[in-house]
Order: sequence, then C-alpha cells, then structure tokens
Amino acid sequence: MSNAAENVQEQEIDLAGANQVIDKYLDMKGALMPVLQGIQEFYGYVPEPTVPLVAERLNVYPSQIYGVLTFYAQFHLKPRGKYIVRVCMGTACHVKGAGRIAGTLEERLGITHAETTEDLKFTAEYVACIGACGMAPVIMVNDATYGSMSVQKMDEVIAKYKAME
Amino acid sequence: MVNLTIDGKQVKVGKTATIYEAAQEAGIHIPVLCYAKKLLPYGACRVCLVEVEQMKGRLIPSCTTPVTEGMVVTTSTPEIVKVRKTVLEFLLVNHVIECPVCDKGGECDLQDLTYEFGLSTNRFEGEKFALPTDEINPLIERNMNRCVLCGKCARVCDEIVAYGSYSFINRGFESKIATAFDRGLNCEFCGQCVSMCPVGAILPRPFKFKARPWQLKEVDSVCGYCGNGCTVTLGVLGDKVETIRFNDKTGVNDGNLCIRGRFGYSYVNSGDRLTKPLLRKDGQLVEVDWKEAIDAVVDGFGKARTEKGLGILSGARLTNEELFLLKNLAQTLGTGNLDHSGGECYKGLTEGLKETLGVTASTATFPQVEECDVILAIRSDFYETHPVFGMVVNQAVKRHGAKLLVVSDKKGKFTKLPNAQTLLNAPGLEVNVLNAMAQTLLEENLAVIDGVDGSAEFKISLTDYTPEIVAKQTGVAADAIREAARKLAAAKKSAILLAYGLPYTGASRELGIAAANLAILTGSAGRQGSGLYICGEKANSQGAVDLGILPAGGALGAQGMLKAAAAGDLSALYVVGEDPLSSYPDRDQVEAALEKASFVVVQDIFLTPTAEKADVVLPAVSFAEKDGTFTNAERRLQRVRRGIPSPGDAKSDFAIFEMLAARCGSPVKYTGPAAVFTEITASIPEYAGISFDSIGPKGIVWGGETLAPARKKVLPAAGGKASEGPFTLVTGSALYHSGTVSTRAKGPMAVVSEPYIELAREDASALKVNEGDLLTVKGNGAEIKLKARIGTRLPKGVLFAPYHFGGAGINRLYKGQTAVAVQLSK
Ligand code: SF4
Ligand code: SF4
Ligand code: SF4
Ligand code: FES
Ligand code: FES
Repeated sequence: MSNAAENVQEQEIDLAGANQVIDKYLDMKGALMPVLQGIQEFYGYVPEPTVPLVAERLNVYPSQIYGVLTFYAQFHLKPRGKYIVRVCMGTACHVKGAGRIAGTLEERLGITHAETTEDLKFTAEYVACIGACGMAPVIMVNDATYGSMSVQKMDEVIAKYKAME
Repeated sequence: MVNLTIDGKQVKVGKTATIYEAAQEAGIHIPVLCYAKKLLPYGACRVCLVEVEQMKGRLIPSCTTPVTEGMVVTTSTPEIVKVRKTVLEFLLVNHVIECPVCDKGGECDLQDLTYEFGLSTNRFEGEKFALPTDEINPLIERNMNRCVLCGKCARVCDEIVAYGSYSFINRGFESKIATAFDRGLNCEFCGQCVSMCPVGAILPRPFKFKARPWQLKEVDSVCGYCGNGCTVTLGVLGDKVETIRFNDKTGVNDGNLCIRGRFGYSYVNSGDRLTKPLLRKDGQLVEVDWKEAIDAVVDGFGKARTEKGLGILSGARLTNEELFLLKNLAQTLGTGNLDHSGGECYKGLTEGLKETLGVTASTATFPQVEECDVILAIRSDFYETHPVFGMVVNQAVKRHGAKLLVVSDKKGKFTKLPNAQTLLNAPGLEVNVLNAMAQTLLEENLAVIDGVDGSAEFKISLTDYTPEIVAKQTGVAADAIREAARKLAAAKKSAILLAYGLPYTGASRELGIAAANLAILTGSAGRQGSGLYICGEKANSQGAVDLGILPAGGALGAQGMLKAAAAGDLSALYVVGEDPLSSYPDRDQVEAALEKASFVVVQDIFLTPTAEKADVVLPAVSFAEKDGTFTNAERRLQRVRRGIPSPGDAKSDFAIFEMLAARCGSPVKYTGPAAVFTEITASIPEYAGISFDSIGPKGIVWGGETLAPARKKVLPAAGGKASEGPFTLVTGSALYHSGTVSTRAKGPMAVVSEPYIELAREDASALKVNEGDLLTVKGNGAEIKLKARIGTRLPKGVLFAPYHFGGAGINRLYKGQTAVAVQLSK
C-alpha cells in the first residue's frame, strides 16, 4: 500500500493450480502445511506469487508463510531440476572424497548446493549422511543411489541422465 | 489474591500475575529482555530466571510463570547471577559490538544488562553476523546483526497491530527475524516494533544521529492528530522535537502509536512555518507586526458587523481553553455563526445524538472495549481513522474472542480479524443497514423497549427497512443483517463504534440517530462495560462539541456560512486552524466564499491555500508549543504540554484570542490555561468538579467511565439511495494521514506523498489500468486526474480517494454527499 514498496519482480505464473489446491483444504484446520505441500507438488516448488494468494485466502500473514517455508527443508522457493543430485557430505563420505565429487559436479554442470541448471534438468544438493556409509562416497539421483563414486563414475552418471529425457 | 514471598518480602498480587509482575509490584528488580507488559508471555531469553523453593532443582522463567499461593521466590543467588551472565555471554557471542554508533546507546536493554552483570570479557568466541541493513524505507531501519531474537517485534506486530510483518525465518544459527521473502519493510509504519525492540536492531530513521537519548528533555503531551488522544512523550533537544518516545505510563494507549503520532511530528520543526503576521497590501501579503495586523482585523470585523456579518470557522486542533476563548470572542464580536470542521459532520451528528440519547459524546471509555463480547464498527476500519483504537479492537477480538461486526463500504484489516462478520454495503447506505438491524431487533422481540420513547412510531418507520428490502438496496444479505442484529442483542457487553470527520459530512444526523437507536434498543448505551463510541476525527473534536463550537440559536453552521459568503450575504470570515479550500467538501463553494467575502482572516501555522487568499494571516503555533487540554473521543481530558518555543513571532491561539478580545472592548486576562480551565468547569456542566491540576498521567474522563444517557428516544432515520452510475466514489481518511497537517510532515509523506484513487482489481483489469496510471474521474460537474492504486479491499464499482491532498481537488467532486456517482476513464 505504500510508495516505499520496492519493485518486486513479478514472476509470471498461472495461479489456477494454487487456487485449486487451496480450494481443497480451505475449510480444514491447520490447512497451511498441506496447502504449501500441494502447491509444491503442483509446481515443483513454491512460486513466490502463490504466497500472497495463500496469505489472502487462508488469512495468514505472508511473513508467517515465509517463516514456515524457510524452516522446513522440504520446501523449495525456486524451480528445481528434473533430476536432484544429492551429494552426501556425511563424515564417511567426506573422508572418502565427497568434496572432489561435489567439485566434479560443479565443474561439469556449473551448479553447487541448492542450485539448478538453466535448462531445469539438474539440481544439486549437499546433504548429511544418507545412511549408505559402506559405499562412501555416495550420491543419489532422485531415488537411485550410486556408491563408491569417483570422478570418472560421476561423469558416467551425469552422461546417463543428460541422455535421458 | 495470592500470597507469596519474594526475596523474603511478603507480596500479595492478583491471581493472574506472573512472578515477574509480582516482583515488579513489590519493587524487586528482575532483569528482562523479551518481556513486555502489553504482550503475551513468551519466555525466550531466559534472562529473568529465578528460583522457586517449591520447584527446586531448576530455574524458572519469572516472566511466564504464574504465581501460586505460598510460593517462595528468590530472585538473585550466585547461581542465578551466573546463569544470567551466561545467557548474556551467549547473546554477545553473535551480537556485533557497535555501541558507539548505535542510536540506542543509553537505553538499550542489552547494554544495560551487560553493565549490570559486569560482563567485560566473554568466554565464548563465535562468528558475528554480517547481515545487510534494511534501509529501504525512510522511517524504520533494521539492523539484524544487533537482534537478540526476543521476538518482541514479531509479537507486537501480530498481537497488537495485526499487521504481521515479521516472522522468524530459517533455522539454527541462521535464524533471524525477517519479512516475507526477507525484503525491506513495507507496512503501516506504526513504529510499534521500534518501541518494543530492546536493542538497537530496529530504529527510527528520522531520529538517526540526532541526539543521544540522555540529552533529550522529555515532555509528556497528547498527539495533535486524531481523536484517539494518544499520549506522546516528546524528545526535545534545543528548540526541536527530535523524536516521539515510547511511554506506557501515561494515557490509555499503552505506549502504542500510529505512524502519524510516531513519525508525523516533524512539521512542528518545519522551516515553512508562519513566523510573522501577514497583511494584504496592494494585492500582496506582506509581513507586518502584530499591532498592525490586529488593527486590521479589528477594523475589518468591526466593518463586517455593520454590514452583513461575520462567520467563524474553527479547527478542532485547538485546546479546550482556546475554544472557550474563541466562543467568548464570538459573543464579543456579536456573531452566532460559529462552527468547526466543515460543519455538518459534527453539527448533524450532535443534533441527532441530542434528540435520541441526550448526550453528545461516547458513553464509555476505550479500555472497556477490550472486554466487550460483541463490537459493531460502523463505516470505518478504525485502523485508518483511529489506528490505536483499532488496536484495542484487535485485542478484544484476538485475545478475548469478541465477535466483530463491520458495516462498511470497503473491506479492511477489521474484516480479516477472526470472527469478523462483514456487512459490505454499497457506498452511503450504512443507515439502511442499521435500520434493518433495528427492524430485526423489534420484529424478533430482541429489543429493550422498557423506558424507551417513541418505539411504536419508530417501528412503523421501519416497515420500509426489512432485511429483505435493505438487502436489495445495499447488497448485504438479509440473513447476515438478522444474524448481526441477533449477535448484538445477545451481547452482555457491546460496543458500537462510529467514526466522524470531514470526509463524512453527508447524512451525519441520520447516521448518528441510527447508531443511537441501536445503542438504545440493545441496551448498549449506558450499560456498564458497553457503549456507543463517537470517534471524532481531530485531536480535540470532542472538546469542540463539549465547548459548543457550534452555531448558536439558529445561526449559520460552516456550510451555511460558506454558502452565505459565496452569495455575498456574509461580509467576513475568520478561519482558525482550518484549511477549507483543501479539505472541505465543495471546493467551488469555498472558493466563491473566500472570493466574495470582503474580509477574510486566517489564523494557522502554515500559509495554507486558504491562508493565501486571506486579507490577514495570523501565525499560530502547533500542539508542541502550547499548554492546555484536549478531550479525546472517549471524553478523556488530557494535558497538552509545551515542549519547544514557538518560531519567530508566532503566538498561540490562546494569546491571539486574548489580544483580539482586548482590542474589541472586552478584555479578558487569564494567567494561563489553568485559569481558563477553571472558568470552563464553572460554565460547562460536564466539566464541573474537574481541576486542571488533577488531570494526571491517565487523564480524567468527564462524566465517568460509563455515561448514562439523559434520555432514550428512538427516532426514524432516513436511509440513503444507492448512487447510480458505473462507479461510486467515496472519500475518507488514509491511514498514513490525518487532516491536511500531516501532508506537511516528513514521516507520513515518505510513505504516501500524493493523492491517488483506489479501485478494485476487477475494475482495473476491465479498464486495463495498471498501478500508477493516470485516471480521469468525472462527476458532480467536475473532472480531475488521479493516479491509480489497485487493491483488494474495494468491491467492484467502488472507488476511494483520500481527502488530505488539497492540490488534487477531490473536493471538487465531493460536495458533501455520502457517495458520488462518477465516471472513470484512462
Ligand atoms: S512498523 Fe508497525 S506494522 Fe510495521 S513492522 Fe513495525 S509493528 Fe509492524
Ligand atoms: S529485532 Fe529487536 S524486537 Fe525483534 S527479535 Fe530482534 S531484538 Fe527482539
Ligand atoms: S494519530 Fe491518533 S491514533 Fe495515531 S498516535 Fe495520534 S492520537 Fe494516536
Ligand atoms: S557419510 Fe555419506 S552415506 Fe553416511
Ligand atoms: S524476560 Fe523472561 S524469558 Fe525473557
């Protein structure tokens, strides 16, 4: 409402999907979490313009929504790649050279933690121990786990997913 | 009552007290950081830990723990001191050390505690934050490196202001307080978060580097803007008001203020102030001395008396004492033509209230509203007209579960509060809705009619106002009207709130009557804890009504005077503390009046557009430069105190009236406002028995907390007709401004600096209008251009333009009707 507002870059986005999700949970108590989850499911992330919409329709403050979105690791505020490459940075993997693996990923795709390639194909995420220490260093691409990673193996995995649609 | 022992001292406190509050009452000091009297218990900082014998083994936060009978508390043992020190050490691990440049130095709780606990070294080493400072908005600077995560800012903005700017974001070490998407602050700028922050993380920018806190002289006074009557503490250095400081020990506002009170003071320091009298010579206004100016005034008024007479238009920012002198002066000058603030808004309302309730003021006090179970807000969001009262309503709803009914032509913050039922009526038809509610009360036998006059006739008058008929006229569903009426009737304690002022001149008598009818039929008027609240626009609107700044015995009111002057039937106009050209409805009429009147005197603090047209301009002073009393919208008399000297030769209205009276042959000489106040109490029955000196920090409410109506008579009130045309324009107050004075203040201007027209999103997309586009608004034979603002609170077809900006000429379109049919184009 004020002149002091900065110019917020409006992302172009169709809010129909968000509205549908909100419609579904509107009368539910504690609707905020399922609504945000639903929105993320629909768009793949939580687009910024959906926040004022959720705020208005659920009558919560935008700041609170943002608090929730940044508190839970499950929410993403930027579009994410089709393939999420999780590089384990746990102790065992660290000792066995997770740094080098992450470095390779960055070199080949130009993305580091929480970044996404421009073609929206890959997102990198550095995570804590994923419980496969026996095969350290470990990465995961979506649900598939790849152990005993080396630079060469990394290249192979990347090439495989690049070739996929 | 609960008995307990604190540090060996026997203490008796109320059941709901916490240990901290009990200690405070007993004069025992416990340090706190995240505690604030007006916020809900939180317990985040752990600085206030104490030992309780019955809960041995761990330390208890005193700020969140309620007292229990027989509790034995120790507030300071070596162990407690050690823990407190550790807490502080942790805070100082991440906290930047930049006290030498921090404006909070000298009044920072963290600094004070560090000193109190003698911390000079820190056992912990840690990373300091290096977050960027938010300096985007001109009023509030946020430096989160200094934040101690007490949450007070987020709590106050939610619990009291209901704006909800802040949340904790991220987790762990990364946790911080931020706005949505961590952007710069863009909010109401009430500054509540500034006043709550215990450290230098949130600071008022206008005050930056102006003074060290201890250099400021503190002067308790009353905000000069709206009828809420918040007490403010001026922070004075030299001859300037440098800041407005938080003070929860005076007044009824708990230290809460809105942007106007907190950031709107700068006009008093303005270099544009009038400092010398001006007299028109050869068509030009030139500086003269007081003697010459007063001679001219006396001469001019004298002539007017022998010709077609004189009319006096007064502002409602004068003190009671000044208004009293003005009233006497009017008698001396032999005129009954005396009115304030545009006339009809108060004149009509006052007449309506006299006929129904016999009292022309709110019947209860603001704090009582917090305990009400049903609140009906008519026409205003109050967050906009009387923001701090809006906060009281918010707390009634959010803390105490009150039901809120909103009868209004636009949505707003009120309509978003939990349990709010909004009766969104087409503009100008509030009376119709209130009538339909009254109809329901009578129809369903929910009304109190014992001891009420006129109910039979009244009932007949309502046959045209059944909920069904009114639903068709106003767009409010018939069931909603019934439901609202039933809620109001079922309330044990109810409040009916009605906002008043310049932008609401139309149908004011009817609206006053319609509201009073409901107050009578629901028993709200005069019942303990309930009441009808008449909320005047200006700081002393109520005082002006109490002191009778209204036309005497059939004489002309403001509109009548302007009309007469425009027709050449009134010779002179004396305008005191008002800028009719900018803010009164029907600018053409005002222009004609100033043109045709042969002699015009304007007494003000700035050379306003009206003053530019005057023959004599008398320089007056602001609220910060005078002593006296204001009466706020709940009848609370409060002391206004002089903080700074007046600029140049400017004189208080008090001194000017005295001078004029003396020259007009009826010299009055008072030693000061106290002496005049004594006269007031002798001649105004409502003020009888109050002495000037007894007006303490909480003020004195004339007539007591609950004012009994002098009579109860219900009267028919004529409803309005929906305006025809594609668009309907309503004007009103924008939150950031009050009257025209705030347009001279840097704070409000930094946020809203120009006029605008607000329209609904649907209308904007239909007309392909973008934010900021220039729109042409045509109506009432006039045409003006205004920048577009697109919002979500207006229904389709309704337009809103704030009336504060004279230059825009909104008052060419607005001629006093409740709503104006207009055309809108790009
Ligand atoms: S200035 Fe007022 S509205 Fe803005 S963040 Fe602070 S408390 Fe909230
Ligand atoms: S900014 Fe101030 S009030 Fe807000 S959490 Fe930090 S220290 Fe507390
Ligand atoms: S403008 Fe009104 S609500 Fe705001 S601080 Fe002043 S008296 Fe209070
Ligand atoms: S440390 Fe990488 S899987 Fe456990
Ligand atoms: S003051 Fe009690 S925990 Fe902060």
